[in-house]
Amino acid sequence: MDSLIPFTTSGSLVDCVDRKMLVVLRDGRKLHGVLRSYDQFANLVLEDTVERIYHAGAFAEKWHGLFLIRGENVVLLGEIDLDLEDDVPIGQQVEWVALEPYHKTDVETKKQREDAKAQILYDKKGFCKEGGEGDGY
Amino acid sequence: MLPLSLLNAAQNKPMMVELKNGETFNGHLVNCDNFMNITLREVYQTSSDGEHFWKLKECYIRGSTIKYLRVPDALLDAVKDEQNRARDAGRGGRGGFVGGNRGRGAPGYRGGRGGRGGPMRGGRGRGRGG
Repeated sequence: MDSLIPFTTSGSLVDCVDRKMLVVLRDGRKLHGVLRSYDQFANLVLEDTVERIYHAGAFAEKWHGLFLIRGENVVLLGEIDLDLEDDVPIGQQVEWVALEPYHKTDVETKKQREDAKAQILYDKKGFCKEGGEGDGY
Repeated sequence: MLPLSLLNAAQNKPMMVELKNGETFNGHLVNCDNFMNITLREVYQTSSDGEHFWKLKECYIRGSTIKYLRVPDALLDAVKDEQNRARDAGRGGRGGFVGGNRGRGAPGYRGGRGGRGGPMRGGRGRGRGG
């Protein structure tokens, strides 16, 4: 890849077009879908998208369909190996409605922990406040 | 098919827009620009906790506040067909001006989707290196 300097930024996504991808958004959502297109801002077009949530050895999926994601909200974009995907022990699939309440609780618990941590760092360790407008990632 | 071209092609189609703060807007796309600023009509707005709803006749959303847009599944196929038709019509070679205009559209399309292949990649690499 040494000779392909222009492909170090969003240009390196050429290889990912028409592949099944995992996209993690800044709000923590995990989307699986086929990458159909992108641009210089890494805005993404995802086809046949499903959202996945996990809780205690179980997972659930919700169908979304065609997505156009604004690039700045993307934390991570990774290709899914279709051969290895089935071998990953991610637990048992359950109904979305059954798992969603647990997932929401998890998210809320995590947020509270992070808030408490940030408060301690601010009060006792001289850290600045985090998470204001435009202060994500 | 670039993401923003897809958005352009979604005019008058229903869509769901989620903002960074979690609010969602369901409505039909009236117009959009290259900043992803959009106007919707017949909008149902939902608060981020999903407990409050508003109905708006028309609304404007600044592009920078958007997290993602959900568009109809059929749109991607519709746009592909439309582009193929435009390209074929362009090949038919009627008017120089119209044909030229279409000709400009077609390579962009091919570059966007065919870019994952070898030719374009090699071509660009060489271009920069030289």
